[in-house]
Amino acid sequence: MGGCGAGARRVTGRFQPRSILPAVPAIEAKGLERTFEGGIHAVAGVDLEVADGEIYAFLGPNGAGKTTCVRMLTTLLRPTAGSAQVAGFDVVADPGSVRRAIGVALQEAALDPLMTGRELIRLQATLHGLGRQAGQEKADALLERVDLVEAADRQVGTYSGGMRRRLDLASALVHEPRVLFLDEPTTGLDPVSRRTIWEEVEQLNGEGTTVFLTTQYLEEADKLANRVGIIDFGRIVAEDTPGRLKAQIGHPHLEVKLLDGGLERAEEIVRRFGNPLPSKDGAVLVELPGGASEVAPVVRALDEAGLTVEALDLVEPSLDDVFVEKTGHHLEPDEPDTGEIE
Amino acid sequence: MTVKDLRVVAALGARSVKQTFRRPQLFAPIIVFPSILLAIQTAGAGRAIDLEGFPPVDSFLDFMLAGAMIQSTMLAGNSGGIALAVDIEMGFTDRLLAAPISRFAMVLGRLAGTAALSALAAVWFIAVGLIFGAHIQEGVPGALLMIFFVVLSGVAFGGVGAAVALRTGRASVVQGLFPLVFVILFLSSAFFPDNLMLEPAATVAEYNPLSFIVEAIRDPVISSISWDVFWKAIGSLALVGGLSIWWSALALRRRLRTGG
Amino acid sequence: MGWRTGMQAVGALVRRAANELLRVPGAAIPGVLAPTIFFLGLTSVFGELANLPDFGGEYQNWLIAVSLLQGAGFTGAATGVNLARDIEQGWFDRLLVSPAPRPVILAGLVLSAALRSLIPAAFLLAVGFAIGVNWPGLGGLVIALFLVMGMGTIAACWGTVLALRYRSQSAAPLMQAGMLLLVLTTTAYAPLDILTGWLHTVARYNPVTQILEAARQGFVGGVTWGDTWPGLLALAGLLALLSALALRGMRRTAV
Repeated sequence: MGGCGAGARRVTGRFQPRSILPAVPAIEAKGLERTFEGGIHAVAGVDLEVADGEIYAFLGPNGAGKTTCVRMLTTLLRPTAGSAQVAGFDVVADPGSVRRAIGVALQEAALDPLMTGRELIRLQATLHGLGRQAGQEKADALLERVDLVEAADRQVGTYSGGMRRRLDLASALVHEPRVLFLDEPTTGLDPVSRRTIWEEVEQLNGEGTTVFLTTQYLEEADKLANRVGIIDFGRIVAEDTPGRLKAQIGHPHLEVKLLDGGLERAEEIVRRFGNPLPSKDGAVLVELPGGASEVAPVVRALDEAGLTVEALDLVEPSLDDVFVEKTGHHLEPDEPDTGEIE
Repeated sequence: MTVKDLRVVAALGARSVKQTFRRPQLFAPIIVFPSILLAIQTAGAGRAIDLEGFPPVDSFLDFMLAGAMIQSTMLAGNSGGIALAVDIEMGFTDRLLAAPISRFAMVLGRLAGTAALSALAAVWFIAVGLIFGAHIQEGVPGALLMIFFVVLSGVAFGGVGAAVALRTGRASVVQGLFPLVFVILFLSSAFFPDNLMLEPAATVAEYNPLSFIVEAIRDPVISSISWDVFWKAIGSLALVGGLSIWWSALALRRRLRTGG
Repeated sequence: MGWRTGMQAVGALVRRAANELLRVPGAAIPGVLAPTIFFLGLTSVFGELANLPDFGGEYQNWLIAVSLLQGAGFTGAATGVNLARDIEQGWFDRLLVSPAPRPVILAGLVLSAALRSLIPAAFLLAVGFAIGVNWPGLGGLVIALFLVMGMGTIAACWGTVLALRYRSQSAAPLMQAGMLLLVLTTTAYAPLDILTGWLHTVARYNPVTQILEAARQGFVGGVTWGDTWPGLLALAGLLALLSALALRGMRRTAV
């Protein structure tokens, strides 16, 4: 069977391939293009490689080409140029094998409002060749996993947005796919539901599933993905781990506000720890490449010099900064509030 | 076709049937409206059997039963098309297309559902007819033959609904076919003998394939089964069914190629 | 809200309903065509009934008023479906939280149906006259069209009652079936003496039979006050009943 790639494990949040043999990528695209009627280049040449067991995020605004890419990789749309392989199978030449290896949860949570949750998962099981008994057992297990047991026999039309997303995810897992495609899995969800989906994705990945997700939420890409591909106008404009992408455009910096002035003295002191930046609103700014671990020595030094710190803030470069750097415009005007306390 | 394919078609067909019963807009045209019209037309135009040239029947109900059944089946095909278009609009078909099933299973499943609904409708109308005094001359074999033709009609007309749904992807367009169904019914011998209709409808009805199908459903009720009528109906069903299923296949292929 | 502001509100609602028609004209075509299709179809199919002894005249003259009322029934039911859609999509909440009194909102909804009923009626009459339906005289025509508008209003009230009750477009078949039953369980297909069994009884007591006879009179004979007032009375009665139900439904909705 083609596509037997190496497994992967997450070690302290960093992805490491296990096997020493050259692994077949879970997803590989070369020059992938899709042009629609009217000359619309939705995807204008995408090259990417996602390793087995990785979580890869496509980050980009509406209309960037994310969904079109996903549709081509999941055999729902034929590329107009280029090629792609998923789980070792060509999406155009051998779509049947691709479909057997993938699970898909699409953007619009394509669920039939008149079916119950249980009926939907059972149908999905039948579509994937599971027998009646196996389908029943699978439905029970998955409904339990996504915490929909109580709502299982209610029609999907009565579900909340979060419940529909969980059901969509569960139905994508019926056949234990090697590669899971999630198209904007948390768009429109409240913070709690979003977190639940994230936890589930991380757990699935921990079990060995490769995850390819598209998102327009910076925090989602930052938190979940091993690697992020920034896509704009149908092309990948940057691709790397979130950390390295942010490091490319700068380091974290510390903003220190003092209680009783002493700005000049403070600037002399912070110079010892990193590259000073122009002060802003009465605060002293200094770059700290090491991030949070370098904050304490700075505060100690200021304290020893008799300067009282009123407030301090460690500002990390964001993926939006990366996006602006690469594309010249912001990803999204408003970020969802996750309620997380920094 | 493998066992797995058959199981998939059956599962999709079962879903179709459940969907229809759970959505009044899909269910009403199949059972409710034709039943209302049957009751009203039988009572309203019942004296038509006194007209010279009307086929010898015990009651107008005996004559009308086949018309109600074919009306129900054609509307079942339309309802099936609407449901398929709704599936396309809400993205449910993507779920099916991303699964390792034959592409045409999507259509076959829908047709299987329409066939099942047609069978249920046929049984309903036979039961209602018998309760209200209709008499099936050919007895049980006659009733089975009626159900047979109604089921085949369901597949044939279901193909038309499916083709329009796949071609346009819009439920409102399929819904707009509703009046057209009645045009075809009026231009046939579904509700009245074609020799007693006014021109030009009478001439159209004489050659309308639907008339041959209706007469095959009607024959066992008002007289005996004739092979001539039987084969004309089979031929008409093969024509309509063949064209509609071919059109569905083309429309599906186009949809897959263009991605929507 | 003063009466002038009220009238303006009603006008705005009527204009919004007209917008739907003008901006998505394709959506209105089935509603406009259906009554004419049914008229032509039923005339062709059942036309020979007019040769029965107790009948007399041509079937198309008998049937045209039925199709006129059927068209009004479809239009009114469509108003109900549109309201159900507006409720589902939350637009109706905007109306309910506005200062417009409930009767004004209802008037706006149903008045648009009354006016829209004239569209399928006009098309039907044009086709009817083209195939030889009798000219009913000016009086007969005015009475018929007035009753069409009245029927459209009744149907819209019925649709509104159901839309407010079920708050979903899935109630559409109920709206349509209700109107179908109301119009067809009358002397729609044949004179009372020719109707058989249960239909004879129902048609005798169905108020819409009076409305139908009043609308039909010009096409099958002369127009008399004696044939007109029962129809007007029946119309007024049904209108009073259904608009009261619709208002009650509206008052129960929201705070």
